[in-house]
Amino acid sequence: MRPRHAAALVARREIVERIRDRSLLISTAVTLAILAAILLIPPLIGIGGTTTYKVAVAGPQAEQVARAAQRDAKTFDAKIEIVQVADERAVRKAVDAEKADAGLSGDARAIVVRKKLDDKLGNALQEGSRQLRLQAQPPPPLPVHTLLASDNSDDLQTITFVAVLLLYFQLVGYGYWLASGIVEEKASRIVEVLLATIRARELLAGKIVGIGIVGFMQLLVIGVGATALGVATDQVSLTGDTARAVGVVLAWFVLGYAFYACLFAVAGALVPRQEDIQNTTTPLSIVLFGSFMLSFAAIDDPGGGLATALTFIPPTAPMIAPVRLIAGEMPVEQIVVSVAVLLAGTAALVAIAARMYSNAVLRTGTRVKLLEAWRSAQS
Amino acid sequence: MLEIDAISRRYGSVVALERLSFAVEDGSICGFVGPNGAGKTTAMRIILGVLAADDGEVRWDGGRIDGATRARFGYMPEERGLYPKMRVADQLEYFARLHGVPRGDAAAAAQRWIERMGLTERACDRVEALSLGNQQRVQLAAALVHEPVALILDEPFSGLDPIGVDVMSEVLRERAGAGVPVLFSSHQLELVERLCDSVAILKAGRLVAFGPVAELRSRGGRGAWRVVVNVNGDGTDWIARVPGARVLQADARGLLVALEDGADEQALLDAARAAGRVWHFAREEPTLTELFKGVIAA
Repeated sequence: MRPRHAAALVARREIVERIRDRSLLISTAVTLAILAAILLIPPLIGIGGTTTYKVAVAGPQAEQVARAAQRDAKTFDAKIEIVQVADERAVRKAVDAEKADAGLSGDARAIVVRKKLDDKLGNALQEGSRQLRLQAQPPPPLPVHTLLASDNSDDLQTITFVAVLLLYFQLVGYGYWLASGIVEEKASRIVEVLLATIRARELLAGKIVGIGIVGFMQLLVIGVGATALGVATDQVSLTGDTARAVGVVLAWFVLGYAFYACLFAVAGALVPRQEDIQNTTTPLSIVLFGSFMLSFAAIDDPGGGLATALTFIPPTAPMIAPVRLIAGEMPVEQIVVSVAVLLAGTAALVAIAARMYSNAVLRTGTRVKLLEAWRSAQS
Repeated sequence: MLEIDAISRRYGSVVALERLSFAVEDGSICGFVGPNGAGKTTAMRIILGVLAADDGEVRWDGGRIDGATRARFGYMPEERGLYPKMRVADQLEYFARLHGVPRGDAAAAAQRWIERMGLTERACDRVEALSLGNQQRVQLAAALVHEPVALILDEPFSGLDPIGVDVMSEVLRERAGAGVPVLFSSHQLELVERLCDSVAILKAGRLVAFGPVAELRSRGGRGAWRVVVNVNGDGTDWIARVPGARVLQADARGLLVALEDGADEQALLDAARAAGRVWHFAREEPTLTELFKGVIAA
């Protein structure tokens, strides 16, 4: 009569009970709201969005400068519309009447504004003018060697940042959730009833898998929801990059969660009460936060030595490898090695965690020291 | 039959159990008594496999106990444990399934025990919303929902009100009546005496007495003699003339006298008659409490 799938029963309970818990719904909604805010608010308050300017020009020279500025305006988040007028007086008139935001004098030697030159427009016009003057007497341009094609790097960095942010919160959140679930069983003493029925390993495996599945599903909902929201508001284009980012985040959540869940499980098993859980989970939170911080370095330079090295260290790999993958800066052989190292680390941790969890989880009353949990021979 | 055979367990240098052996027959209720810290909980945890014994083994129907057998036991630990946020019916069904009951049967069994415990209206409430008494009922139901083949209960009566005690007693008798061996620990010795077929007394990890209650009583000496005599003077001098007799207690109900082995109770009666008028002369069986105190003090 022994249940063949004790771990599956435990996992099922975790999934059902946690989905029923309103806090899951709330945290999903809050995360989506935060992402929506990141996507929608900057353009609304004029940050990051493109502003359209009218520039009055008279004469071919002025027009040339304006056209050059128009071409590069996007770099400065500006869009330039050219208004042709008859002569220099008409330029001043148009600017004074606010029919144009700026004007270029006939020889294109000065910018005319009514009160103050807007930064974005100013940068665009100055750049346009500078380019034309350089063309007249061009210094030899530096050759550019592109090693890996990545064109829309700004968008990609934003996507990467959001992806790493999501991964970080999901790993910390679900690791902590697992630890507190284990403490709940310990503090309510239900663990003794459970262990009289099923093995500690089955209980541990069921909890890790069950909570992990909930975390994965939540991440899927958030990833798809945020992408849909971004596409609907025209902030994200549904390119291969976006889809790849969502896939990478989901895959590395599974890998990273498996690794960190073992550590969080031990952290939970060591303490007797919820109030003490910070004591043992804080070191893990610090490691995760450190990895999160290091991921910024990887966003800046995904192909660099630091980022490459961190890809092969199990605790940092779950935050660094996704950055390099989304940036397309990770050769296949590195992916294989990184995943293999992380899986090997996880396999070792599973064995250690199962032993320490079994030893510590029945010791209620006081905090169990790491070494005691390893040594004591209770089974 | 549940057999505990020479199990020992140490915590570091502390000996928790030292070659503990006894057995609980099918259909019988065994009381497990002993002072705090005697090793009762440790022994029960070892029976359930929650703890490993350093030495010795626990047998079920003559064979070593494996996981499949243990899953059919019912266990109620001293520190009660339920998921506070889980609903009563879900919780019982979950426990039934963990014990290997198929899904449909598990739901039906949960429902049956909810009715039996008078919790029908609370079936969909979270456990934390129930009163402590009702939580105890859920706990008992959780130990019984899979129709266990053996019951091991650590202090099942502690914290119960008189009605709860009656419900618990009734359930234990019923299970024993169905042929299940029942082992429970308790400090309420009157209850143990009333309910149990046999008693195991544990002291500092060692079994100091085990057997049917009646047998233990007779083994604990021939009992004391209660003599009510109407005498002049200070009343107890005459006892000194009876060889091997000693006053245990003197109160309004009379004198309680212990006789050494081999001492003649007729000599005691003669001496009493010589001292005054005898109103009452009878042997008094020791209660389990007296027996317990005697064994533990020895």
